[in-house]
Amino acid sequence: MSLELRVNHLRVGGRPLLRDLSILVPAGAVHTVMGASGSGKSSLLAAVAGTLEPGFDFDGQITLDGRRIDALPTQARQVGLLFQEDLLFAHMTVRENLLFAVPPGPRAGREARVAQALVDLELPGYAHADPATLSGGQRSRVALMRALLAQPRALLLDEPFSRLDAELRVRMRALVFQQVRERGIPALLVTHDENDIADARQLTPLTPAEPDA
Amino acid sequence: MAAPLRQLSRSQAAWPAWLLGLLVVLPLVWVSWAAVAQGLDVSAWRSLFDDPQWVPAMLLSLWTGLLSTALAAGLAAWLLAGSFPGPAWNRLLRLLSPMLAVPHASFAIGLLFLIAPSGWLLRLLSPWATGLQEPPPWPTSQDPWGLGLVLVLVAKEVPFLLWTAAGQLQRPELARRWAQELQLAASMGYSSRQAWWRVLWPQLWPRMWGPLLAVLAYGLTVVDMALLVGPASPPTLSVLAWTWLNDADPAWQRQGVAAAWLLALMIAVTAALLWKLAGLVRWRHHWSAGDRGVLRQTTLAAGRMPAAAYPLLGLYLAVMLALLLGSMAGVWPFPDLWPHSFSLEAWGSVLASVGTVWTSLLLAFGASLSALLWSLAWLEWAPRAWDDALRRLLYLPLLLPSVLWVAGLHSLTLHWGMDAHWSGLWLAHALACLPYVLLTLGPAYLGFDARNAQLVASLGHGRWTMLARVKWPLLKASIASSFAVGFAVSVAQYLPTLYVGGGRFSTVTTEAVALASGGQRAIGAAYAWLQWLLPVLVFALAAWAGRPRRFRRRVRGMV
Repeated sequence: MSLELRVNHLRVGGRPLLRDLSILVPAGAVHTVMGASGSGKSSLLAAVAGTLEPGFDFDGQITLDGRRIDALPTQARQVGLLFQEDLLFAHMTVRENLLFAVPPGPRAGREARVAQALVDLELPGYAHADPATLSGGQRSRVALMRALLAQPRALLLDEPFSRLDAELRVRMRALVFQQVRERGIPALLVTHDENDIADARQLTPLTPAEPDA
Repeated sequence: MAAPLRQLSRSQAAWPAWLLGLLVVLPLVWVSWAAVAQGLDVSAWRSLFDDPQWVPAMLLSLWTGLLSTALAAGLAAWLLAGSFPGPAWNRLLRLLSPMLAVPHASFAIGLLFLIAPSGWLLRLLSPWATGLQEPPPWPTSQDPWGLGLVLVLVAKEVPFLLWTAAGQLQRPELARRWAQELQLAASMGYSSRQAWWRVLWPQLWPRMWGPLLAVLAYGLTVVDMALLVGPASPPTLSVLAWTWLNDADPAWQRQGVAAAWLLALMIAVTAALLWKLAGLVRWRHHWSAGDRGVLRQTTLAAGRMPAAAYPLLGLYLAVMLALLLGSMAGVWPFPDLWPHSFSLEAWGSVLASVGTVWTSLLLAFGASLSALLWSLAWLEWAPRAWDDALRRLLYLPLLLPSVLWVAGLHSLTLHWGMDAHWSGLWLAHALACLPYVLLTLGPAYLGFDARNAQLVASLGHGRWTMLARVKWPLLKASIASSFAVGFAVSVAQYLPTLYVGGGRFSTVTTEAVALASGGQRAIGAAYAWLQWLLPVLVFALAAWAGRPRRFRRRVRGMV
């Protein structure tokens, strides 16, 4: 299980964002992509997730578990997303948010997985709570659990800690890194905060691409 | 030091806001009260229920109103689901304004030229497919099932609902969040349509409850379009109420008011039922049931416009073309697709009645301008809490049956000596424009960054300088377009113009409806075209007036 990225070039409206980039994320590792805003790090994640907006031009290969996924629609890629905002659906309870992610199957089994997830989150009494009533830290944990319940084969993290306060950030980082390790899936984290780096050997600093000659 | 200063400015702001509020609340409350008072007549209710027409008419109103609302909401949601977010949505948005600009009555008259027994649709199919050599005696123009009315309502309400949805989806923070939520659902394997129905629609529709309610109320109570394409015997309840209201006998008029109250009751009951239906716990189970839907696309999405947008656009084009042709057709024997000769006679008689056009223009200009000035003053000086309270009251004319509204309005103009006078007409039109102008102007005006005002004040300028040199110029696009919206609303007014004007004032709309429903289709079509052309010209003027300032190119050598 690994995630392999090979970027020949990534352009927006003809302007180069990234060029000649190779990243190999082994299973259970969190690879950090560091860069200032505008360096193209979020676009790199969008290229992996298949959510690049029109106007972006991606040339390269993305391989997940030995399978090319760069031509597939987002739905078929099996990569989980975690954004800066927790993006819990406001019209659903905590339980329904989690249930939304669980793959289709017998109802009892799906419910059991959500119940277990709520226990793991140490939020068992919050099943029918409105997500808006949760604290910031609780919301982030629910969002992480929701992404994992969909059983992704890789996890993409777009500055997921930047909105948390210092103490929560430390705990949330530890939780994410632990979950990735335990599940043995590759994770790609983009950030501009050096403290987010999980492993110095798994680090790609982005520098703004030079204009094409 | 700061607290007393703030208090001082608040008390200074209070009296203009009071005055402004009174200016609108007084007639609104008066009209509503007059409508209530007229509905309390027991004998009128008794004679209504003794009338054999009320049950079939009410059922017909329910049928056309509910069916058109359901179809319009479903189609609008379906179009949205297939296009948002992405370039297809932006393309769809650009098509909305020309569709919205077509007045309801014009559209209905144009549709008559398509679906009438001698209309284009049958000419297109005759004689090769139908074998018809002359117009058949089919009731296609005013079909007894109200299908023509439903078609017109759906075609007109879909762009309106899309436009109000755009108001939500254009807000940058919401649009970004919702686009990301859809990506999230996609990453979990949900097809884009499934994701849309489960994630976005349940969050969007409660924000569109107001417009949906307005669509329902309009569909249940429309009069002018029902006179043109609606069933004739029995007609819908609104048409029946309007006919009774126009009777010379006060007893019939009171029965008309009772029927109008029955319409209001129908709106309330159906709205309550829909609210219940929308809140069913079933939907909640469905959202998180886990079904991912069928993934049709095998590669990355291309962002094409949903196919249903094209028939809708085609219908609008065909209707406007049929309208234009209908106003200029001379000799035109039946199965021929094209007239043998053209005639400008209809347009000649329209030009000859230049007074009608001037009445429309002046009335629309005066009503929209007063609504705009009032809205600017209100948004600038009224406290936010007052604004919220007033808005609830302002929706009344949109939610009450128009027949009931004009009955109340008429009573007010009688009391204030404005009946059958231009001042009463102006008041009726200004009150009709006001909610639309305020709704169009409000978001941009209230969203104006307050720090601009603080900055200007810190530079030593007073409030008027700030307004005249900074705020209003920066908001000129919204100001111009809200004026145009008010203008269009005023031009399209039918019931108040006739009823409050006592039949003494004719506008392009009253002429178009009267002539087209009276059999003089060519002149009616010409007026209907004019009814579309006048607001479109004003929209174009507003776009021109509100265009952003163009700066001259940077002078060479300067950085």
